[in-house]
Amino acid sequence: MNPGKLSILAGTHEPISEEDARIVRGLRAGIEDAYEELIARYQQPVFSIVYRLLGNQNDASDVVQEVFLKVFRRIGSFRGQSSLRTWIYRIAVNEAHNHHRWFTRHCCREVGMESGPERPCSLESAPDPGRSPFERALDRENRTLIEEALGRINPDFRTAVVLRDIENLSYEEIGEILQLSLGTVKSRILRGREALRRELTQRLDPGFAEAFT
Amino acid sequence: MTCFSAKRQSTVYTDGRLRGSDFSRVAAHLRACDSCSVYFDQIAKVRSATGELSGAKCPTRLSLKLRVIASRERKAVEENNGSRFRAMWKQWRFRLDEILKPLTLPATGGLLSSFILFGILAFTIGTASRAVNYEVPVVYEEQPGVNLVPLQLGADAVVLTISTDNNGRIRDYAVRDGSDSFAGDPGKLQSSSIALPRFPSVLAVAHPVSGDISISFTPLELRQ
Repeated sequence: MNPGKLSILAGTHEPISEEDARIVRGLRAGIEDAYEELIARYQQPVFSIVYRLLGNQNDASDVVQEVFLKVFRRIGSFRGQSSLRTWIYRIAVNEAHNHHRWFTRHCCREVGMESGPERPCSLESAPDPGRSPFERALDRENRTLIEEALGRINPDFRTAVVLRDIENLSYEEIGEILQLSLGTVKSRILRGREALRRELTQRLDPGFAEAFT
Repeated sequence: MTCFSAKRQSTVYTDGRLRGSDFSRVAAHLRACDSCSVYFDQIAKVRSATGELSGAKCPTRLSLKLRVIASRERKAVEENNGSRFRAMWKQWRFRLDEILKPLTLPATGGLLSSFILFGILAFTIGTASRAVNYEVPVVYEEQPGVNLVPLQLGADAVVLTISTDNNGRIRDYAVRDGSDSFAGDPGKLQSSSIALPRFPSVLAVAHPVSGDISISFTPLELRQ
């Protein structure tokens, strides 16, 4: 048995899984494999959440680095009362909100040289080969519209919608991440979707409106 | 069921979390109300469209940066043996060193200057204390009534000769007048403080003179 790998788990309690407990123990012991596994497992979802909350790739990259730095440094204080994923997502959401607040406070007062509002950077996803070019263009257009609409709604509602509709987390998990009750989670999701609906119906070209009406 | 109540259930209805009688009531209302039906349909389409946004690809450079961060933190854990207190102590010691670094040179210079100055002044403190500690001789004779020198003044001049040693002490004396002279008795000097002075304050600022000192007592004639 490789002494560098921890396979014996003791002292863990629900709801943390065996996998999570193994990673946590590896991180605390400074085992390289544990760090690699954590990055491989959570890098993409954390980036996805943070990017959807901030709407900017560069900002999201910076925040993701902060998130993982905090995870590595605070792993000693992780008690296993929630899952590792919930704990990491909570850090990610908080960091994204802090960054957004800092940005709003310090950078929004500056007047940029560019003309017109800055559109959020729309990252490429893998194109669907079964769609025609027109349909793919329509998809791209719709995606841009939805991303813009998502960037305009209230940050609290946006967070709830991102975690539910994009990350497919359950209401309970969202409640753990955001430290909210189930009722508040449902309410924020409802209001977030309503706000998106209003934004999209206001801005949709009649030719595309069929997709949403 | 009212439209307001139905719309409040749109989230859980769309997500498939509504069960039993609640689901039936909402479904029945949607069959009866066209506006709510349109509303629920739009919410479902928004949910679907938002769900299709998934797949924001993580940049490659970010992976490298995360690995660099992981390597650095892992090294810190190894150095501290996983001890949080040791890590905190190192952090605070580093901060303390950074704060004190600008003060190191002036502090050392000031301390050295203090040592040198104090060392120079230390030698003068004893001298000054000796000079300040001035004793005023109150009693100069321990045996009152005993004359040091049996000297009787008359019409003629009398010369008192005192011999002192290197410490300024009287070791011998002699008295001469016109008609008579006698030598002193050194034995009588043993009990006399004026003959054997111990005035350190005086000796601190003066040097005793050895040799013979002659004092002449000449009677004065007063004319009217």
